Amino acid sequence: MSRFTRRQLLSAGLGTAAMGLLSGCATPGIRSVNTAPVLAPAASGEKITLTYWCWLKDAQKVADIWNASHPQVQVEVVWIPGGNAGGYQKLYSALAAGGGPDLAQVEMRSLPEFMLVNGLVDVARYGAQDYAHLYDQTLWGQVSFSGGVYGIPQDSGPMAMFYQPAVLDQVGGTNPGTWDEWAALARELRKKDVYLDCFPLGDASVFTAFAAQAGASWLRPEEDGWVINMTDDATMKVARFFDQAIDEDLVQTAFGAYSPGWFAAAAKGTIASVVSGSWGDALIEGVSGGSGKWRVAPMPTWDGSGFGSSYLGGSTAAILANSKHPREALEFAVWMTTSREGIDAEITNSGIGWSPSPDFIGTPRQAPSEFFGGQSYHQEIFVPAARQQNEDWSWWPVTQQSFNILSDGFRKKASGTSLVDSVAAAEQQIMTVFRNKGLSIRKEAS
Amino acid sequence: MTATSPTARTGRGPSAQPPARPGKRGDRTGAASRAPWLLLAPFLALFILTFVLPIFVAVLSSFTKVTRSGLFGEAGVKSEFAGFSNYAQALADGSFVASIGRMLLFGVVQVPVMILLCTVLALMLESASAKWPGFFRAAYFLPYGVPGVIATILWSFLYVPGLSPLFDVAALVGLTPDFLGANTVLWSIANIVTWSYTGYNMLIIVAQLKAIPGELYEAAKVDGASTWRVALSIQLPLIRPALVLTTVFSIIGTLQLFAEAQVLKTVAPAIDSQYTPNLSAYTTAFAYNDYNVAAAQAVLIAVAAFVLSFAFLKFTNRKSS
Repeated sequence: MSRFTRRQLLSAGLGTAAMGLLSGCATPGIRSVNTAPVLAPAASGEKITLTYWCWLKDAQKVADIWNASHPQVQVEVVWIPGGNAGGYQKLYSALAAGGGPDLAQVEMRSLPEFMLVNGLVDVARYGAQDYAHLYDQTLWGQVSFSGGVYGIPQDSGPMAMFYQPAVLDQVGGTNPGTWDEWAALARELRKKDVYLDCFPLGDASVFTAFAAQAGASWLRPEEDGWVINMTDDATMKVARFFDQAIDEDLVQTAFGAYSPGWFAAAAKGTIASVVSGSWGDALIEGVSGGSGKWRVAPMPTWDGSGFGSSYLGGSTAAILANSKHPREALEFAVWMTTSREGIDAEITNSGIGWSPSPDFIGTPRQAPSEFFGGQSYHQEIFVPAARQQNEDWSWWPVTQQSFNILSDGFRKKASGTSLVDSVAAAEQQIMTVFRNKGLSIRKEAS
Repeated sequence: MTATSPTARTGRGPSAQPPARPGKRGDRTGAASRAPWLLLAPFLALFILTFVLPIFVAVLSSFTKVTRSGLFGEAGVKSEFAGFSNYAQALADGSFVASIGRMLLFGVVQVPVMILLCTVLALMLESASAKWPGFFRAAYFLPYGVPGVIATILWSFLYVPGLSPLFDVAALVGLTPDFLGANTVLWSIANIVTWSYTGYNMLIIVAQLKAIPGELYEAAKVDGASTWRVALSIQLPLIRPALVLTTVFSIIGTLQLFAEAQVLKTVAPAIDSQYTPNLSAYTTAFAYNDYNVAAAQAVLIAVAAFVLSFAFLKFTNRKSS
């Protein structure tokens, strides 16, 4: 008797077909584009179209200015959700499927993560170093890794303190110069049932920026692998400071800045200020009835040590691995971020963050602001803030996971785990994550 | 071993049919036995391509590991068989295990509450004294028509202090609720889920109630049974299959909770990126780019859903026999 049934034959056939399909389904991102030969520029007379995925508002209008003067290299913008809110997920899956745009908006801190899945073109191979002098050196340092350049800085967020003078005046206070003065002011304001600021337990990026300001440099690449040090004096000082601030109920922890609850509190005057990146101005302008009530002051400093400011946020235009025209994409990215027309168009259409070009902050930012009581805060506050940065800071390949590990620890503050302990525990967990990815890491010898 | 001989084919395989009627021309033709397959082909092709194959790939991926050398893997990346190490890594991740525990707690409370609520609603709407049952049926069902994401956004405005009128009402009676705190946000999510799905489950039960033959009600009436008695002795036993079905769906749905937590995250700092098992797998895959561990997590979630559903079915079957 035959033991072969139709069903078996069918499944055997399907199985073979499935194996064929599966062989194309190896874990994505394990081939590097940067060892392949450099791609030639498009032949003259050939018309090409680049795609740029970003979450900037109306970025197509910026690209249209470029398109008008570059008929051979047209840029088409596709909007994606911001960063980890869905944009990266889209980019990663497009890369995994062997596709994706020519350019994409990628935050500074996320570049190494995209490098880890071989998602980025090393644009140093296409002459990016020739443009290095046009950019802020701290930012250029954050896109350069082991001799390569993996993104073109597009915007950044030098930090300062946005505050409501009238609210501080209730206790006769002014903007604090140091964090200790900040804490004293917060203590006074609590008596009036006002919080000076929030401390976001659910978003570690703010804590990270504070630590960088204090002089920390958590991870750095070395010849033999990564070196981690999250328990240095600077970080521990910041952690202890906010441990005490939370214990004394000096900061609001129920919601973070720019959340619906925050806007309601800021409008009511029960939140007095926010220490945030320069891009916070556009958000603060959304506080209802806030016009004329806000001012900008320099970020409080760690009393003599550390730096005057820090970077919170900041993104790049990165050239993605599957681009067929990296050279032209690089030219567009440089035009967009350094030319006067590019920077101005990005500000007026997209409300982009701080210009990465130290030579030009953008025409609209040179005028005094009506919302901020006629203060020319861009010139006064942010130009100096952008110069007082921690140049040693470098991002690492598991930034998002590290932030999640940190904030998962911070959330336990409510049940009594101190930030100091959370940071120390996070360091251990981050080392495990590195090792699980097969990357070598060691703790800095103290 | 002639797999293609017509005799071997007849009566074997899934397309087995009764022998051809006499008077018809000889053996069944190939066309007749091919027909069902041809008709099934569009379904099967899509089913295999979009369902069977992805599952297969996910399982395969969960047994693969990528190792890198150099700072960013620039000095070489290789993909190799990993055994159960991804599973070990997933289970060693406290946040992932905690998310499963959290969903178990959620399910133990929310599923019974919802099933009880929808059963009561269905019985009331199907009782003889119900007023405008059509209107109320539609009204209770309406929330199901609101997509989970929209429902969560709607509710989030009711949960946020300073925006929600609920806080003003609570203040009148001297309460200061915290809907988004570390210990309460889970129940705020449960509330959204209950609001969304009670009407849907109610409709399944109503359908089963409508299938109860009228004679049973008449007989009960003749015997002088009260409404209570009818509900307890006739309706409840006869809608048991619908109750089992809705409970199993709810158990599976609980483990797959995703949209509500993901959306509420923007207003609730207490929700982390691994709050529910699916959110955890999503984060691992698309924020951490660890597709292999994410695949292992996905398989674990599926296994957990299977185990729980079958345990519940076994439990109800044992009770009925």
